[in-house]
Amino acid sequence: MKKFLTLFIALILAGPVAAQNGPLRLTITDGVIEPITFAAPVFEAENAEAVQVVNNLNRLVAQDLAGTGLFREIPANAYISQISSFAQPIAFADWRAINAQALITGAVAVSGNQMTVKFRLYDIYSGQELGGGLQLAGTTAGWRRMGHKVADAVYSRITGEGGYFDSRVVFVAESGPKDNRQMRLAVMDFDGENTQYLTDSSTIVLAPRFSPSGDRILYTTYESGFPRINLLNVSNVGRQQLQTAPGEMAFSPRFSRDGGSVIYSLSTGGNTDIYRSDLATGQFTRLTSAPSIETAPSLSPDGSQIVFESDRSGTQQLYIMSANGGDARRISFGEGRYSTPVWSPRGDLVAFTKQNAGRFHIGVMRTDGSEERLLTASFLDEGPTWSPNGRVIMFSRETQGEAGTSALYSIDISGRNLKAVAVAGAASDPSWGPLQP
Amino acid sequence: MQTPGTYISATGHILLIGWLFFGWGFDADPLEFDAMDVSVISGEAFEEMLAARTPVPGDASPTAPMLPEIVDTPPPLPPVASPVAPALPPETVDQPDVELPPPAAPAPLVTEAEPTPPEAPDTPDAPPPSPNVDINAPPAPTQADRVASTPTAPPPPDAQVDDIVREEVVPDATTTAEVVTEETTPTAPEETATEIAIENVKPSGLVDTSLRPVSRPSRPTPPAPEPATPTQTAETPAAPEPPSDDAVEAALAAALAVETPAAPATAAAPAVAAGPPMTGAERDSFRLSVNRCWNVDPGSVASRVTVEVAFELDRNGQVIGQPRLVSSDGDQSAVNIAFEAARRAILRCQSGGYPLPADKYEQWKDVVFTFDPSGMRLR
Repeated sequence: MKKFLTLFIALILAGPVAAQNGPLRLTITDGVIEPITFAAPVFEAENAEAVQVVNNLNRLVAQDLAGTGLFREIPANAYISQISSFAQPIAFADWRAINAQALITGAVAVSGNQMTVKFRLYDIYSGQELGGGLQLAGTTAGWRRMGHKVADAVYSRITGEGGYFDSRVVFVAESGPKDNRQMRLAVMDFDGENTQYLTDSSTIVLAPRFSPSGDRILYTTYESGFPRINLLNVSNVGRQQLQTAPGEMAFSPRFSRDGGSVIYSLSTGGNTDIYRSDLATGQFTRLTSAPSIETAPSLSPDGSQIVFESDRSGTQQLYIMSANGGDARRISFGEGRYSTPVWSPRGDLVAFTKQNAGRFHIGVMRTDGSEERLLTASFLDEGPTWSPNGRVIMFSRETQGEAGTSALYSIDISGRNLKAVAVAGAASDPSWGPLQP
Repeated sequence: MQTPGTYISATGHILLIGWLFFGWGFDADPLEFDAMDVSVISGEAFEEMLAARTPVPGDASPTAPMLPEIVDTPPPLPPVASPVAPALPPETVDQPDVELPPPAAPAPLVTEAEPTPPEAPDTPDAPPPSPNVDINAPPAPTQADRVASTPTAPPPPDAQVDDIVREEVVPDATTTAEVVTEETTPTAPEETATEIAIENVKPSGLVDTSLRPVSRPSRPTPPAPEPATPTQTAETPAAPEPPSDDAVEAALAAALAVETPAAPATAAAPAVAAGPPMTGAERDSFRLSVNRCWNVDPGSVASRVTVEVAFELDRNGQVIGQPRLVSSDGDQSAVNIAFEAARRAILRCQSGGYPLPADKYEQWKDVVFTFDPSGMRLR
């Protein structure tokens, strides 16, 4: 009996001993915040005609990535081994030695006005290719788009988030003095290149908004003397006035996520409320009915909710309500006035303009109003718009004084990497379109 | 070329030289007069000094150990004795001096040097120094020697008050139940068991708590914006709680990780083949080496996801194969991003192998890291 007892005790004690051979468990809580390093050796020119474009393409890819602030390029003079052929095996140790975390190799072939671009992405520390090789075909004239697409693929594979380089932005191009400002609608690449004008400067245009697919644009115009909403087709620049509910002024339009309807503000009898109109049928629905001013509606990505600004509490604040109207709950409680809310494509944040103590800010908060963060501060920052992946916010910044002009800026939602967008001339009211197909 | 200036200069120099001469002379005279005054004063005070001198030795005699006091008193005696009356002072001084040496110095010295013949030789030995001492100088050197030779260290051992106490302790040790405890663990290596228990408990608790505060102080401030949430407003009064929760969780995780080896070690250590458990410093060193490669993008959705990543290490501390995702919380795409960042951190910082104690390989060959970015999230 005693033996059984000792055996029993031994078994009990042996249990935890076995557990000792389990894995070592540690918790990592403090990381670092630093750009991911990449190397992008000049792509291989597969024929003589490609020699000219190959370097430009390579620089554009590196510029796109480094411009995000999330990546840092390792200069070519640090390379230990060279990439002379797209097909050659990669000496991972050489790239590891210069602390490159990613390696981009590519090859370009040009025939006439057609070109093809191939590229591969390597994860240096795991010694593996990240994703498969990718080949793009297009025209030589559209080489920038192909470069953006390569950068998007690299960005997406490394960060796990969608890219935003091959996208366009519609904005109001301004010229002339403040008291006689000429305004035209214009579209550009996200980096300010390839600007095209969509309207002439005969009338005031405001607040253009891209459709979810990027094929149409809504904007506010004063052609009739009162603000009305126009719908513009990007491909043929044809435009028509939106059929809205009856009222004196219609403004601040936005597409629904499916592009089939429009939510906007309508002012009638001194009261401004939010409406929705179906583009196909023209049927409209009134979503708010408070005696106060409700405007600047923006839909959530799933289309179920609307964030908007209202002065029902006495000052401009942000509210969220169902997409079908009804009760609204206030989400902004800080000091100052909040306006122009825009729901993030990710769905987790709302960007806004905040005016407080004589300064303007672009900020973000979670959709429940928590974790408000102001990203910028200046004399006049306003009109935030989200990049397609919800990572970057573009906005317009106006300088003070008679000669003050407006320019476009972008900033990462981490509050880093504030950059001026290289647009020719003054610009305001940006609206970021989707990634192009 | 004698100008008024030269006259003035000459007279000035003469005055200066004269002042120097006479000045030195005048200074010398008053010094002598002062010395005379002193002698006059001493004449009146002699009687009182003599009267006071007898009580001084009387006081010194009973207090034998007070050697320094005696040394101080003799110096004033010689000057007084030499000018006035050599006869009377010696007599008075002799008696106390003779009385002084026997009780204080000789007793310990003789007993230590010659135990058996104390009586006859010792007493004559003692007197000879005493007459020499009687006059003036001798007492001082002998007393100085005594002070130097008896640093008070030897006497205490002789007295051995401490030893007696210790002797009492010894029987206690024999009678205590320690023997019983040894009997309970007869087969097992007892020493390893007790040592392991101590090492496990102390380092884990101490190191974790000492390292945490470094990073924590930065977190209590961020929670301030959080209270804006309606759901968290209830928790606003406890704004510092979130970090403390984190700290508690981290501490718990660490404690749990430690307890598994610690518990069996205290109970029974015989089956331990993995060597001593990893110390808190070793674990922190491992953790820090991954920390610096864990690149957190605070703007990414992955900054809201905690992932657990497991991997194996070879004996050189290098990762075998690829790290794998064990568990996670949150959106799948965000989890993938978070896992990629964790995987990159583990692979990136292993260059040359992680610095881990080779003799404890069994304990770190399997590793599970929890990557918790909650402290790095944008606020």
